[in-house]
Amino acid sequence: MELSSEDNNLTEKVLPPIEQESDVELETTVKKYLRGEGADLETLKDKKLKTQLASREKLYGKSAKTAAKIEKWLLPAEAGYLETDGLEKTWRVKQTDIANEVDLLSSRNQYDIVLPDFGPYKLDFTASGRHMIAGGRKGHLALVDMMSMNLIKEIQVKETVRDVAFLHNEQFFAAAQKKYAYIYGRDGTELHCLKERGPVSRLRFLKNHFLLASVNKSGQLHYQDVTYGGMVASIRTGKGRTDVMEVNPYNGVVALGHTGGTVTMWKPTSQAPLVQMQCHPGPVSSVAFHPNGHLMATSGKERKLKIWDLRKFEEVQTIHGFHAKTLSFSQKGLLAAGTGSFVQILGDSSGGSSSHNYSRYMNHSMVKGYQIEKLMFRPYEDVIGIGHSMGWSSILIPGSGEPNFDSWVANPFETSKQRREKEVHLLLDKLPPETIMLDPSKIGAMKPSRRKEKQSREEIEAEKEVAIEAAKSTELKKKTKGRNKPSKRTKKKKEMVENAKRTFPEQGHNNTASKKRRIGEDAAAELPASLKRFARKN
Amino acid sequence: MVGEKRRSTSKNLAKNKKRKGPHLPNSILKTIANEKRPLNSDEEDDEIDSDDANVDLYEYEEGVPEEESRKNNRYDPVVNYDYELPEDFEDENVESDDDDEGGNSDNEEGEGDVVRHTRMLQAVTGMPSAAFDGESKRKPVLFTEAYPESEFNPTRDVLEGKGLLTIDDFMAPIEGKPGFNDLQKRISRMQKDTQAVVHAPLPKPERERLERKAVKGLVDKEFNKWVHMVKRNREAPTVYFNQNVSLGYSTVGAIASEFQPRTDFEKKMASVLNDNELGEAHDEDGAKLLELNEVSVEDHIKYRDHIAKMRSLLFRHELKSKRIKKIKSKTYHRLKGKDLKKSAMGALMDPEMAKEEAMKQEARRVEERMTLKHKNTGKWAKRMISRGLNVKYDGTRAAISEQLQINATLSRKMNSTNDGSSSDESDDEEELNDGSDQDTPSKLIAKAREKTLKTVEDDEVPNSGLLSLPFMARAMKKKNEEAIEEAKRALEEYEEWENSGGEENSKKTADVSGRRVFGATAKVEAPKESRKDSDNFYDNSDSDNDMEGIENNDLRAVRDTASPVRNTGAITETEKFDDDIENPASKTTFDVALFASGSWKKMKGCQNAETKKKTKKHVPYSKSQDKKESRDEESEDSESEAEQMVDGILTSASKETYEIPSQAELIQRAFAGDDVVDEFEKEKQEVLNQEVPEPEKPVLVPGWGQWTNIQKKRGLPSWMVREHEDAKKKRTLDLKTRKDARLRHVIISEKVDKKAEKLHTTTLPFPYTSKEVFEHSMRMPIGPEFNPATIVGSLNRPEVVKKAGVIIKPLKFEEANPNEKVDDEHPRSNQKQNPKKGGKTGKGQRKGKSKQKTKA
Repeated sequence: MELSSEDNNLTEKVLPPIEQESDVELETTVKKYLRGEGADLETLKDKKLKTQLASREKLYGKSAKTAAKIEKWLLPAEAGYLETDGLEKTWRVKQTDIANEVDLLSSRNQYDIVLPDFGPYKLDFTASGRHMIAGGRKGHLALVDMMSMNLIKEIQVKETVRDVAFLHNEQFFAAAQKKYAYIYGRDGTELHCLKERGPVSRLRFLKNHFLLASVNKSGQLHYQDVTYGGMVASIRTGKGRTDVMEVNPYNGVVALGHTGGTVTMWKPTSQAPLVQMQCHPGPVSSVAFHPNGHLMATSGKERKLKIWDLRKFEEVQTIHGFHAKTLSFSQKGLLAAGTGSFVQILGDSSGGSSSHNYSRYMNHSMVKGYQIEKLMFRPYEDVIGIGHSMGWSSILIPGSGEPNFDSWVANPFETSKQRREKEVHLLLDKLPPETIMLDPSKIGAMKPSRRKEKQSREEIEAEKEVAIEAAKSTELKKKTKGRNKPSKRTKKKKEMVENAKRTFPEQGHNNTASKKRRIGEDAAAELPASLKRFARKN
Repeated sequence: MVGEKRRSTSKNLAKNKKRKGPHLPNSILKTIANEKRPLNSDEEDDEIDSDDANVDLYEYEEGVPEEESRKNNRYDPVVNYDYELPEDFEDENVESDDDDEGGNSDNEEGEGDVVRHTRMLQAVTGMPSAAFDGESKRKPVLFTEAYPESEFNPTRDVLEGKGLLTIDDFMAPIEGKPGFNDLQKRISRMQKDTQAVVHAPLPKPERERLERKAVKGLVDKEFNKWVHMVKRNREAPTVYFNQNVSLGYSTVGAIASEFQPRTDFEKKMASVLNDNELGEAHDEDGAKLLELNEVSVEDHIKYRDHIAKMRSLLFRHELKSKRIKKIKSKTYHRLKGKDLKKSAMGALMDPEMAKEEAMKQEARRVEERMTLKHKNTGKWAKRMISRGLNVKYDGTRAAISEQLQINATLSRKMNSTNDGSSSDESDDEEELNDGSDQDTPSKLIAKAREKTLKTVEDDEVPNSGLLSLPFMARAMKKKNEEAIEEAKRALEEYEEWENSGGEENSKKTADVSGRRVFGATAKVEAPKESRKDSDNFYDNSDSDNDMEGIENNDLRAVRDTASPVRNTGAITETEKFDDDIENPASKTTFDVALFASGSWKKMKGCQNAETKKKTKKHVPYSKSQDKKESRDEESEDSESEAEQMVDGILTSASKETYEIPSQAELIQRAFAGDDVVDEFEKEKQEVLNQEVPEPEKPVLVPGWGQWTNIQKKRGLPSWMVREHEDAKKKRTLDLKTRKDARLRHVIISEKVDKKAEKLHTTTLPFPYTSKEVFEHSMRMPIGPEFNPATIVGSLNRPEVVKKAGVIIKPLKFEEANPNEKVDDEHPRSNQKQNPKKGGKTGKGQRKGKSKQKTKA
């Protein structure tokens, strides 16, 4: 699967393991698994809670350490890499050079499939990277098993196909066709026609939420729950037509790139965008998200590629003179950009997590005239799939894929039984659409304080009660003889209570009910005389 | 006691004096006082009152200073003796008889008192009465005070705090008396013994406090022993109660093996079961078992009797049923029938019965519908109705309506019968055919047509009201047009049906074996036909039958011609489609190309001419470095595209993949960069204004505060201005604290998502007091997906782990081990038990706890 073991004799070398380095490495992985710092327990006054939290924290530490150790020692495969010595540069290494060095299985992943007639191809891989769906613009849909290179099903829909996307597994895929989007089964049968969305230009599937997100030609964003078919949200973006759409895998937020150079981020539960960023002065041509959700790459038509930190919404890096029609992040964080017939892979050379410095890692030129339509790294493989105007190709990019798959997450070697089991589990673990938010780690935390909080009915009631109580319990001054009569005093008190009540406006359904009635009466009055008797009387 | 006595006597005396003394003129009193003064000149002033008391004189009572009167000098021996007058002393100056008398009588009384007093003293001290004689002989010494001494009127010594009584105080008055020395000795001995003065006991609250303090010390000591255990339990993430607990028996066999028969029955059973004889019989031979299985005579008789009884019962029952069968009374049968019906309701559940019932019902219904017995067709009913009596009399009307009701119920269709699915249809048909012949459908259609025509014709526009408004009228018109259109369509459809019906009819007459053609298939084609003569509809509505034949023929012809065409079309289409599918497969070449940037080598595979051409075509271009825009992704003229595609299979080789972007696209791209940043800023401002709205400008209600020029000049009241400014300040602050305050290129919406609110807590859960700590504690997932399997267990362990059925015993004391640390890996059990093999449950040593369960 990986390149490293085979590649070391020519261009690559394996570094001897150094003790200290490994310690540092272990620490960093431990940190990763700790998911942030523990709370400062010294501030706590409750001793019981303190000790309990301390023990909990200890357990977390232990868990993280074990996980780090497992990652270090027990995981079966290591990530591949390219390493050059001296003046050699990694981007000078060509696919032919790599092909000479890799094992047979890996070398099978270098190929071109030439399908000149059905026009530029869109690609999508399943989460496990086992299956690929290729959608040619001119209606050719092909479902391919990438492990055995078997063509599972091929259909010709005889319509423009603008995008393809897998649903939760390879059993279903959606295609955005000329007029509507359709969902097909694995055997090519049309299962659903999604008419409500209109002519869809981009399709993406949110696999944790089971939402099929799409943006149509009039710039409307639709979220449809594929479990029961309900349209969860239909949002007018109001930014015109777009065909740049990507999902942040970390939080499920959908990003759209617009012609005005803005990137907007959306969630299904709000009609307004969560974030709008002015990324480029010209139209945004593509957007991609790092799998950890912190980085976003955008490219504009003004030939600039920008990398953004989504935690601060700041630009981290700008790469000039580069316009990418399609962008893709690999699982390990390599960034692929495709323009014309040229693919460039950028790697994060800084290594550290805080500062990012993407620079050239590998290049690949296709045959001139092949127009790249879509780049997508194949999960769990050091392979990138290229959909272009003459079919699709696949090349090797060492160090792009996650070397070890987690069968809890995705299993390329899944049996059908496992797949069924997984499907049920996925459905049980389905997240409701409101869990999509910019920072999902805030779920379960305290409610963020609102600036101007509108009081709820109960609160108003309670306040009113308090005010009335206060009015009742006020001591009246002793007045002169004539004014101190008990009757006067009670009257005065009543008045005070009434005043206290009056400060709280009467709310409730009485008002609305009366309004409704009035509306009904009006309607009755406006009707022609013959129809008046049919007007609703209440 | 002594003092009290005295005081009381003195009081008496004073009373007597006051009561009995004659009233003297003031001058005389004065002279008396003057004469008395020299007599007492050597005495101190203090003793005046005692003097007063002793001397039986009428004299002016001087106001005595309070402190002096209150002074308690009863125990001063000097006072007692110094001012004691000799017994023979008599006052010369004053003589009074009546006073003497009173004094004597008093003295006698005092005498008796004294005797008793000495007796008491004797009893108390145990000394001879002689010791007290002197005192008794002496005149009683009186010490007077303004008020009697009591807790409300304490003496000054008491008040000043030096009023400790010593034994000496008590001893002093009896000094020198016989027996005094003896007493003195005894007392000194006693003093030596105790060595100290016995102080008054402490006040109760203080005493109790001390007591509590002492007790607390003890209890603390006792309780502190437990502290470490309680602490450990409180802080433990999990408390275990299940370690090494054996619940006793594990199998049924084990339980059975220890069974001992206890009750009589059990014992009997055991004796039978364990009978040797039986066992042997079983083992040896079955024959012996038969012997043992003998039936006793009594049992046999019992059985016989039972059978006889049952037989006689049966016989009687038969007799009874025979008799009932013979009964001819109608009422009896009616009642019986009712009962049966009631029971039948239950029996309806039985499908057979239900079916039968349904059949009956159906029969009744049919009968009803045939005879129309209850539809007021009878003679009586007709007469009633014709004469209008049904209106006149309520009773008649009720009877008639009842009849109708019965009719309705009887003729109502039964829906519940399951096997009526076919009968439903037949019913419908029946109804349709009811009293009509074959061409009913055509009639129906004619009716429908008539109705639609009517609706089409009467589209009146009201002249007044809301609907007469021009736009309303327009809308109405539009609607009407639509309706007419629809109606026309409907008419055509009717026509269609009619035709088909006619056709069918004609078919029936002409050739039975012919092809059946239904309207639905001809739907698409037919309208064209019928539209032609749609104008004729209005005229020809009566003479349809004449038209039918012709139309039918026409239609049939059309259909016959149309269907093959369509078929061929479909066939061609499908063929093409097949081609489409096949062709790509043939063209798909799995070529492994090792491509350097310039070269394009084909390894192998079936190469088509087209692809070859293409590659050749591309080679020359490959070096050029132009990074032109690729062809555009969207081209809307998809029809042509589709056409091209269909043809493309044949012709695509020559087709260039580059496409010039459409005009709209070009324009969009060209002007895209215009002022984007400014626009964005504007948008941001808008969003900000929406989310943090600007405060409203304060305005005065017109006419208010503008009466005079001065008021106008003054402008808005200061409080309004202040309020406005505050709101403005708040807004700026809000804007500054926004997340996107410093990011010019970003708008971050701060709208609260109400749907997501349920995912947050509104209050901190109980033990937490700070938000940070809570949120930090929530950061780690604890599920099996996120943690190594070795840790998941301890991360998710419940607070209390126990086995079902384990008795949780109270906490037992355990020595503290200062070096012990709570270890989560090796759960320490709170209940230790010696595992006993097959032993009883309760006996193991347990260390349990009950109250100190930890709670998070």
